[in-house]
Amino acid sequence: MAGERTSGGSQTSLREANRARIVSAVQHRGSITQIELAGVTGLSTATISNIVKELVAAGVLQTTPTSRSGRRAQEVSLARNLGLVAGVHVGEREMRVALADVALKVVAEQRLPLPPGHRADSGLDRAALLIEELVETVGAPIGEVLAIGVGIPAPVDTRTGRVTAPRILAGWAEADVPAVLGDRLGLPVLVDNDSNLGALAEARLGIGRGLSDLLWVGLGHGIGMGVVVDGAVVHGRRGAAGEIGHVLDVEDGSTCRCGLRGCLEGSIGSAALAARLATTHGHLALRDIVGRALAGDAACGRVVGDAGRRLGRALSTAVTVLDPDVVVIDGDLAGAGEVLLGPLRTELEARAVPAEGGPVRVEVSGLGGAARVRGALVLALDAHRVGVPIGSLT
Amino acid sequence: MNGRAGNRRGPLEGEPAVLAEPPALALHGVTHSYGAVRALVDVDLDVRRHEVVAVVGENGAGKSTLVGVMSGVLVPDAGEVVVDGRETQLTSPGQARGLGIATVFQDLALCEDLDVVENLFLGQEIRFGPLLDEVAMEREAQRLLAQLAVRVPSVRAPVASLSGGQRQAVAIARALLGEPRVLVLDEPTAALGVTQTAEVLTLIERVRDAGFGVVLASHNLTDVQAVADRVVVLRRGRLNGEFDADVAGYEQIVAAITGVAIGPGEGR
Repeated sequence: MAGERTSGGSQTSLREANRARIVSAVQHRGSITQIELAGVTGLSTATISNIVKELVAAGVLQTTPTSRSGRRAQEVSLARNLGLVAGVHVGEREMRVALADVALKVVAEQRLPLPPGHRADSGLDRAALLIEELVETVGAPIGEVLAIGVGIPAPVDTRTGRVTAPRILAGWAEADVPAVLGDRLGLPVLVDNDSNLGALAEARLGIGRGLSDLLWVGLGHGIGMGVVVDGAVVHGRRGAAGEIGHVLDVEDGSTCRCGLRGCLEGSIGSAALAARLATTHGHLALRDIVGRALAGDAACGRVVGDAGRRLGRALSTAVTVLDPDVVVIDGDLAGAGEVLLGPLRTELEARAVPAEGGPVRVEVSGLGGAARVRGALVLALDAHRVGVPIGSLT
Repeated sequence: MNGRAGNRRGPLEGEPAVLAEPPALALHGVTHSYGAVRALVDVDLDVRRHEVVAVVGENGAGKSTLVGVMSGVLVPDAGEVVVDGRETQLTSPGQARGLGIATVFQDLALCEDLDVVENLFLGQEIRFGPLLDEVAMEREAQRLLAQLAVRVPSVRAPVASLSGGQRQAVAIARALLGEPRVLVLDEPTAALGVTQTAEVLTLIERVRDAGFGVVLASHNLTDVQAVADRVVVLRRGRLNGEFDADVAGYEQIVAAITGVAIGPGEGR
């Protein structure tokens, strides 16, 4: 019922439309102050205050006192008892599952390391068990979960939930995630590319709050990018928008799992970085390389810096084409901070079109490595329509 | 910002020679028999710091015997043990612990009726004069569990009230109290549900990242491949392959475990 009606004929329908606008704005942001609500919806603070009061009484919203720039303010969020949402991030080598209330406050989470080349059948089975057990730990019945969002590290057709570039994640190529997980748990399931979810979370809950355009780059076993333009995630024709890991980095380079040659991922993915250090350092995980680079190991520092430079070169094209407000860097490699970001910025400044206001901001994600699973929570919440009471509220 | 002088240096100068460091624990030519049954034959194994080495194999392949040798419970018939570059003998569990090899057996050896703190410090209590320093032990327990991000309802909860994953975590924390070099884990995820397996695997990664060498004996290849750096295969008491866990395929490792010949070009 919370449709897109803007201004109806009667006072009542106008009021209903305003309620829907406020609920949808609150749902969109997780939590928001009344003043900010006025800015977002264009309604007067008096109207906002009245409608929020009604909706709190109706059990749809809740308010908590807070402060903004030293002033007292009322923070508005959806009433927690409206339900829970579940988010799953399936990474190349780990799975994260989180449970949040409708204000997107995480109430329980779990992380499971995964073997390389893991497959959808066992992955979905374990995801379902983890969701069920998390729901149990918070003492809720599974029926309180409104929807499940799932992020997968491969291009996904968001209408069908299927992987559209089967070679990128072979073990998940044929999987019908919404059907398998949905049937198992009896809940709606939404699927998207994990980097798109990282970008979504960053735009709504992280550094991108209040900005319209951003690039989100995940650096780990694979290299992924999510693109937000005008506040919305860009998917492209078959969900493959933003696959920066598979743009050309080395002319005539070695063959990539995607089928192309010389991909950026082949140069700066974790396997490539580890291979460069194998003769002197033996077997290293990506987090070892980051830790050693930060501790002053020169060889590790150089490998991380080189990765920053190569990423900067690839990103300069994306930045020139899209002119984003900010570039957000996430994933295990982002832990290297300035060792990575310094060379990356230098390269971006040298190659992206110079513009007024200086070079684009480049920052490490503010969501502490959890952007993708938080994005899965946002995806699940967005899919759920919060009902708004109709007619007069007393 | 960071004027890294390293850029001007040669590739090796001034860098920690990672591969030149002696392994934290190395076994050479270890052989052990139970009567006429040869459980281990000429087995070599080394573990470095910051490394998880998984030992896999079928039942009866020799995993438990190898764990027994490393823990000092079994004295091998032949072979040498090198700890931090020094040759030595493991003749008793106490001596193995003294050399920095801590073992968590499958049965965990926890006392059900005692609480978490009492279990952690059983036999290694902190004393204040003639009395037990309960405050210091509780504080140390909190610190250790927080460092490992282990979640228990309370450090004063009896172990009987904990889940399988939490018990495993308490047993691992107890093994780490003596600041060992190497942690040996025997089937840590056997009989655990998926949530508890998730907790234990994450804990193993954290222990490794803290600088310990970890030996993980397990028959669950999914769990092994999730956290191991190297996988060593035992078959009928002998080494039957060693794999880089990031690169090796499941089928390759299974072939080594079961002894199925693998075609040329497929093996490593």
